[in-house]
Amino acid sequence: MTIYIAIDDTDSVDIGATGQSANALRKIIKDKGWGECQPVTRHQLLLHPDIPYTSHNSSMCFVLEHSPVDVQDLIRCAAEFLENTSAPGSDPGLCVAVSTQIKDVERLIAFGIKAKKEIVSKQEAYQTAEYCGIHLSEHGGTGLGIIGALAGVALRMTGNDGRFQGKMQLKESGEPMAIGEVIENTEIDEVQSIEGQTLRPDDIIIIGDKIKTVLLDGKRKLLVYRKNNAWHTCTNKHLQAY
Amino acid sequence: MWLAKNKDEREFTGGKTDWEAAARIAEQCSGFEPDDEDEQTADEAVSCYNCRYRRWTVKSFSCLLPT
Repeated sequence: MTIYIAIDDTDSVDIGATGQSANALRKIIKDKGWGECQPVTRHQLLLHPDIPYTSHNSSMCFVLEHSPVDVQDLIRCAAEFLENTSAPGSDPGLCVAVSTQIKDVERLIAFGIKAKKEIVSKQEAYQTAEYCGIHLSEHGGTGLGIIGALAGVALRMTGNDGRFQGKMQLKESGEPMAIGEVIENTEIDEVQSIEGQTLRPDDIIIIGDKIKTVLLDGKRKLLVYRKNNAWHTCTNKHLQAY
Repeated sequence: MWLAKNKDEREFTGGKTDWEAAARIAEQCSGFEPDDEDEQTADEAVSCYNCRYRRWTVKSFSCLLPT
Protein backbone atom coordinates (compact mmCIF):
# COMPACT_ATOMS: atom_id res chain seq x y z
CA MET A 1 0.00 0.00 0.00
CA THR A 2 1.44 3.37 -1.04
CA ILE A 3 0.15 6.40 0.85
CA TYR A 4 0.78 10.00 -0.19
CA ILE A 5 0.72 12.53 2.65
CA ALA A 6 0.85 16.29 2.08
CA ILE A 7 0.52 19.29 4.35
CA ASP A 8 0.42 23.01 3.72
CA ASP A 9 0.21 26.32 5.53
CA THR A 10 1.45 25.27 8.96
CA ASP A 11 3.69 28.30 9.49
CA SER A 12 3.42 32.04 10.02
CA VAL A 13 5.81 34.85 9.13
CA ASP A 14 7.52 34.52 12.50
CA ILE A 15 7.15 30.85 13.45
CA GLY A 16 7.63 27.45 11.87
CA ALA A 17 8.30 26.04 8.41
CA THR A 18 6.06 23.56 6.63
CA GLY A 19 9.09 21.54 5.49
CA GLN A 20 10.18 21.06 9.08
CA SER A 21 6.62 20.07 10.04
CA ALA A 22 6.58 17.44 7.29
CA ASN A 23 9.85 15.99 8.52
CA ALA A 24 8.61 15.92 12.11
CA LEU A 25 5.50 14.04 10.95
CA ARG A 26 7.68 11.54 9.07
CA LYS A 27 9.56 10.88 12.29
CA ILE A 28 6.36 10.33 14.26
CA ILE A 29 5.19 7.82 11.64
CA LYS A 30 8.49 5.97 11.89
CA ASP A 31 8.48 6.01 15.68
CA LYS A 32 4.98 4.48 15.70
CA GLY A 33 6.33 1.57 13.67
CA TRP A 34 4.26 2.44 10.60
CA GLY A 35 7.28 2.44 8.30
CA GLU A 36 10.00 4.61 6.84
CA CYS A 37 8.67 7.45 4.71
CA GLN A 38 10.36 8.57 1.52
CA PRO A 39 11.95 12.04 1.55
CA VAL A 40 9.82 15.18 1.45
CA THR A 41 9.34 17.15 -1.76
CA ARG A 42 8.49 20.84 -1.94
CA HIS A 43 6.03 21.95 -4.58
CA GLN A 44 5.71 25.57 -5.70
CA LEU A 45 2.18 26.80 -6.30
CA LEU A 46 0.86 29.98 -7.91
CA LEU A 47 2.00 33.36 -6.61
CA HIS A 48 -0.87 35.80 -6.98
CA PRO A 49 -2.02 38.87 -5.02
CA ASP A 50 -5.43 37.29 -4.41
CA ILE A 51 -3.95 34.20 -2.72
CA PRO A 52 -3.33 34.72 1.01
CA TYR A 53 -0.15 32.61 1.32
CA THR A 54 2.35 33.29 4.09
CA SER A 55 5.48 33.99 2.04
CA HIS A 56 6.08 31.45 -0.73
CA ASN A 57 2.94 29.35 -1.35
CA SER A 58 4.64 25.98 -1.43
CA SER A 59 3.40 22.67 -0.04
CA MET A 60 5.21 19.56 1.17
CA CYS A 61 4.53 15.92 0.32
CA PHE A 62 6.02 12.56 1.25
CA VAL A 63 5.21 8.92 0.57
CA LEU A 64 4.77 5.95 2.88
CA GLU A 65 5.16 2.56 1.20
CA HIS A 66 4.50 -1.04 2.28
CA SER A 67 3.04 0.14 5.56
CA PRO A 68 0.81 -1.94 7.84
CA VAL A 69 -0.87 1.23 9.13
CA ASP A 70 -4.63 1.63 9.37
CA VAL A 71 -5.18 4.75 7.22
CA GLN A 72 -7.72 6.19 9.67
CA ASP A 73 -5.12 5.94 12.46
CA LEU A 74 -2.63 7.73 10.23
CA ILE A 75 -5.12 10.51 9.45
CA ARG A 76 -5.97 10.95 13.15
CA CYS A 77 -2.27 11.10 14.04
CA ALA A 78 -1.44 13.65 11.32
CA ALA A 79 -4.49 15.78 12.18
CA GLU A 80 -3.55 15.84 15.86
CA PHE A 81 0.03 16.74 14.92
CA LEU A 82 -1.11 19.69 12.78
CA GLU A 83 -3.49 20.96 15.44
CA ASN A 84 -0.84 20.77 18.15
CA THR A 85 2.15 22.14 16.28
CA SER A 86 1.01 24.58 13.60
CA ALA A 87 1.83 28.25 14.14
CA PRO A 88 -0.87 30.51 15.55
CA GLY A 89 -2.61 32.27 12.68
CA SER A 90 -1.74 29.56 10.15
CA ASP A 91 -4.35 27.75 8.03
CA PRO A 92 -3.16 24.14 7.96
CA GLY A 93 -4.50 21.53 5.55
CA LEU A 94 -3.91 17.79 5.33
CA CYS A 95 -4.25 15.43 2.39
CA VAL A 96 -3.87 11.64 2.65
CA ALA A 97 -4.29 9.52 -0.47
CA VAL A 98 -3.96 5.76 -0.81
CA SER A 99 -2.71 5.25 -4.36
CA THR A 100 -4.80 2.15 -5.11
CA GLN A 101 -7.98 3.90 -3.95
CA ILE A 102 -7.66 7.04 -6.08
CA LYS A 103 -10.59 6.87 -8.47
CA ASP A 104 -9.35 9.38 -11.04
CA VAL A 105 -5.61 10.06 -11.07
CA GLU A 106 -5.85 12.26 -14.18
CA ARG A 107 -8.35 14.58 -12.53
CA LEU A 108 -6.20 14.76 -9.41
CA ILE A 109 -3.08 15.62 -11.39
CA ALA A 110 -5.01 18.21 -13.41
CA PHE A 111 -5.94 19.87 -10.12
CA GLY A 112 -2.27 20.00 -9.07
CA ILE A 113 -1.17 21.52 -12.35
CA LYS A 114 -4.02 24.03 -12.22
CA ALA A 115 -2.97 25.13 -8.72
CA LYS A 116 0.40 26.14 -10.18
CA LYS A 117 -1.22 28.32 -12.85
CA GLU A 118 -4.60 29.55 -11.62
CA ILE A 119 -6.43 30.48 -8.45
CA VAL A 120 -8.42 27.51 -7.18
CA SER A 121 -11.02 27.53 -4.42
CA LYS A 122 -11.45 25.39 -1.34
CA GLN A 123 -14.71 24.17 -2.82
CA GLU A 124 -12.92 22.92 -5.93
CA ALA A 125 -10.34 21.18 -3.77
CA TYR A 126 -13.01 19.43 -1.70
CA GLN A 127 -14.94 18.41 -4.82
CA THR A 128 -11.82 16.98 -6.44
CA ALA A 129 -10.81 15.10 -3.29
CA GLU A 130 -14.28 13.66 -2.81
CA TYR A 131 -14.55 12.60 -6.45
CA CYS A 132 -11.10 10.99 -6.33
CA GLY A 133 -11.65 9.26 -2.96
CA ILE A 134 -8.96 11.18 -1.12
CA HIS A 135 -8.92 12.42 2.46
CA LEU A 136 -8.73 16.22 2.76
CA SER A 137 -9.15 18.13 6.01
CA GLU A 138 -8.50 21.55 7.54
CA HIS A 139 -6.96 21.96 10.98
CA GLY A 140 -7.16 25.59 12.01
CA GLY A 141 -7.60 29.13 10.75
CA THR A 142 -9.28 29.42 7.37
CA GLY A 143 -8.17 25.90 6.41
CA LEU A 144 -7.00 27.21 3.05
CA GLY A 145 -3.99 24.91 3.34
CA ILE A 146 -6.16 22.10 1.96
CA ILE A 147 -5.66 23.51 -1.54
CA GLY A 148 -1.89 23.23 -1.34
CA ALA A 149 -2.09 19.88 0.43
CA LEU A 150 -4.19 18.32 -2.35
CA ALA A 151 -2.00 19.94 -5.01
CA GLY A 152 1.09 18.62 -3.20
CA VAL A 153 -0.11 15.01 -3.52
CA ALA A 154 -1.09 15.57 -7.14
CA LEU A 155 2.25 17.12 -8.09
CA ARG A 156 4.26 14.45 -6.27
CA MET A 157 2.31 11.83 -8.22
CA THR A 158 3.36 13.42 -11.52
CA GLY A 159 6.96 12.50 -10.67
CA ASN A 160 8.00 15.73 -12.36
CA ASP A 161 7.65 18.59 -9.92
CA GLY A 162 9.50 20.13 -7.04
CA ARG A 163 12.71 19.96 -5.08
CA PHE A 164 13.58 17.46 -2.38
CA GLN A 165 13.72 18.94 1.07
CA GLY A 166 17.09 19.41 2.73
CA LYS A 167 20.59 19.38 1.34
CA MET A 168 22.86 16.38 0.87
CA GLN A 169 26.43 15.99 2.02
CA LEU A 170 28.64 14.39 -0.62
CA LYS A 171 32.19 15.71 -0.31
CA GLU A 172 33.83 19.01 0.52
CA SER A 173 33.00 21.85 -1.81
CA GLY A 174 35.35 21.92 -4.81
CA GLU A 175 36.21 18.21 -4.67
CA PRO A 176 35.66 15.94 -7.70
CA MET A 177 33.40 12.89 -7.50
CA ALA A 178 32.48 10.18 -10.02
CA ILE A 179 28.79 9.80 -10.86
CA GLY A 180 28.99 6.09 -10.03
CA GLU A 181 30.18 6.95 -6.54
CA VAL A 182 27.38 9.50 -6.10
CA ILE A 183 24.72 6.96 -7.05
CA GLU A 184 26.23 4.18 -4.96
CA ASN A 185 26.50 6.21 -1.76
CA THR A 186 23.40 8.41 -1.77
CA GLU A 187 19.66 8.35 -2.44
CA ILE A 188 20.30 10.09 -5.77
CA ASP A 189 18.97 8.00 -8.68
CA GLU A 190 20.52 9.89 -11.55
CA VAL A 191 22.74 12.86 -12.38
CA GLN A 192 21.53 15.02 -15.25
CA SER A 193 22.63 18.25 -16.88
CA ILE A 194 20.19 21.17 -16.78
CA GLU A 195 19.81 20.66 -20.54
CA GLY A 196 18.58 17.09 -19.93
CA GLN A 197 21.65 14.98 -20.65
CA THR A 198 22.09 11.98 -18.33
CA LEU A 199 25.68 11.61 -17.14
CA ARG A 200 27.51 8.26 -17.22
CA PRO A 201 28.92 6.48 -14.13
CA ASP A 202 32.50 7.41 -15.05
CA ASP A 203 31.74 11.10 -15.59
CA ILE A 204 33.19 13.41 -12.94
CA ILE A 205 31.40 16.29 -11.23
CA ILE A 206 32.75 19.06 -9.03
CA ILE A 207 30.86 19.26 -5.74
CA GLY A 208 29.37 22.63 -4.82
CA ASP A 209 28.55 24.28 -1.50
CA LYS A 210 24.98 23.06 -1.29
CA ILE A 211 23.67 19.87 -2.87
CA LYS A 212 19.95 19.95 -3.66
CA THR A 213 18.01 17.39 -5.69
CA VAL A 214 14.82 17.57 -7.75
CA LEU A 215 11.99 15.21 -8.69
CA LEU A 216 12.12 14.45 -12.42
CA ASP A 217 10.85 11.41 -14.33
CA GLY A 218 9.85 9.87 -11.00
CA LYS A 219 13.49 9.92 -9.86
CA ARG A 220 15.56 11.86 -7.40
CA LYS A 221 17.97 13.67 -9.66
CA LEU A 222 21.04 15.78 -9.06
CA LEU A 223 21.30 18.53 -11.66
CA VAL A 224 24.64 19.78 -12.93
CA TYR A 225 25.86 22.47 -15.30
CA ARG A 226 28.91 22.84 -17.54
CA LYS A 227 31.52 25.47 -16.73
CA ASN A 228 35.23 25.65 -17.69
CA ASN A 229 35.06 22.22 -19.32
CA ALA A 230 33.79 20.51 -16.16
CA TRP A 231 30.45 19.51 -14.62
CA HIS A 232 29.44 21.37 -11.48
CA THR A 233 26.49 20.72 -9.16
CA CYS A 234 23.75 23.30 -9.59
CA THR A 235 23.41 26.14 -7.12
CA ASN A 236 20.28 27.67 -5.60
CA LYS A 237 20.09 30.10 -8.51
CA HIS A 238 20.00 27.29 -11.09
CA LEU A 239 17.24 25.53 -9.15
CA GLN A 240 14.99 28.55 -8.75
CA ALA A 241 12.61 27.19 -11.40
CA TYR A 242 12.09 23.97 -9.44
CA MET B 1 15.08 49.76 -4.82
CA TRP B 2 11.59 49.74 -3.35
CA LEU B 3 8.14 50.48 -4.67
CA ALA B 4 5.54 51.38 -2.03
CA LYS B 5 2.43 49.31 -2.68
CA ASN B 6 0.55 50.57 0.34
CA LYS B 7 1.45 51.95 3.76
CA ASP B 8 2.44 48.50 5.07
CA GLU B 9 3.97 46.95 1.98
CA ARG B 10 6.95 47.74 -0.23
CA GLU B 11 8.07 45.70 -3.20
CA PHE B 12 11.67 45.17 -4.31
CA THR B 13 12.13 46.69 -7.77
CA GLY B 14 14.97 44.35 -8.71
CA GLY B 15 12.72 41.39 -9.47
CA LYS B 16 13.79 37.87 -8.56
CA THR B 17 17.31 37.81 -9.95
CA ASP B 18 19.08 40.96 -8.80
CA TRP B 19 21.33 38.89 -6.58
CA GLU B 20 23.83 41.66 -5.91
CA ALA B 21 21.31 44.25 -4.75
CA ALA B 22 19.37 41.72 -2.65
CA ALA B 23 22.60 40.71 -0.89
CA ARG B 24 23.72 44.32 -0.40
CA ILE B 25 20.40 45.38 1.11
CA ALA B 26 20.25 42.39 3.44
CA GLU B 27 23.82 43.01 4.65
CA GLN B 28 22.71 46.46 5.79
CA CYS B 29 19.40 45.35 7.26
CA SER B 30 19.12 44.78 11.02
CA GLY B 31 15.95 42.71 10.53
CA PHE B 32 17.43 40.03 8.28
CA GLU B 33 16.48 36.56 9.50
CA PRO B 34 17.36 33.50 7.40
CA ASP B 35 14.34 31.59 6.14
CA ASP B 36 14.14 27.82 6.31
CA GLU B 37 16.89 26.34 4.12
CA ASP B 38 14.35 24.86 1.70
CA GLU B 39 12.96 28.29 0.94
CA GLN B 40 16.28 29.98 0.19
CA THR B 41 16.94 30.83 -3.46
CA ALA B 42 20.12 32.90 -3.38
CA ASP B 43 23.63 31.49 -3.15
CA GLU B 44 24.64 34.40 -0.91
CA ALA B 45 23.75 33.37 2.66
CA VAL B 46 22.68 36.89 3.58
CA SER B 47 20.25 38.09 0.94
CA CYS B 48 16.73 39.46 0.92
CA TYR B 49 15.89 36.46 -1.26
CA ASN B 50 16.75 34.18 1.68
CA CYS B 51 15.04 36.24 4.36
CA ARG B 52 12.13 34.99 6.40
CA TYR B 53 10.45 38.37 6.03
CA ARG B 54 10.30 38.43 2.22
CA ARG B 55 7.03 37.47 0.65
CA TRP B 56 7.27 36.39 -2.97
CA THR B 57 5.10 38.27 -5.42
CA VAL B 58 4.45 37.63 -9.10
CA LYS B 59 7.44 39.66 -10.27
CA SER B 60 9.57 40.12 -7.17
CA PHE B 61 9.03 40.10 -3.38
CA SER B 62 7.62 42.33 -0.69
CA CYS B 63 9.46 43.05 2.53
CA LEU B 64 7.25 42.34 5.53
CA LEU B 65 9.49 44.17 8.01
CA PRO B 66 8.09 47.48 9.25
CA THR B 67 9.77 50.41 7.51
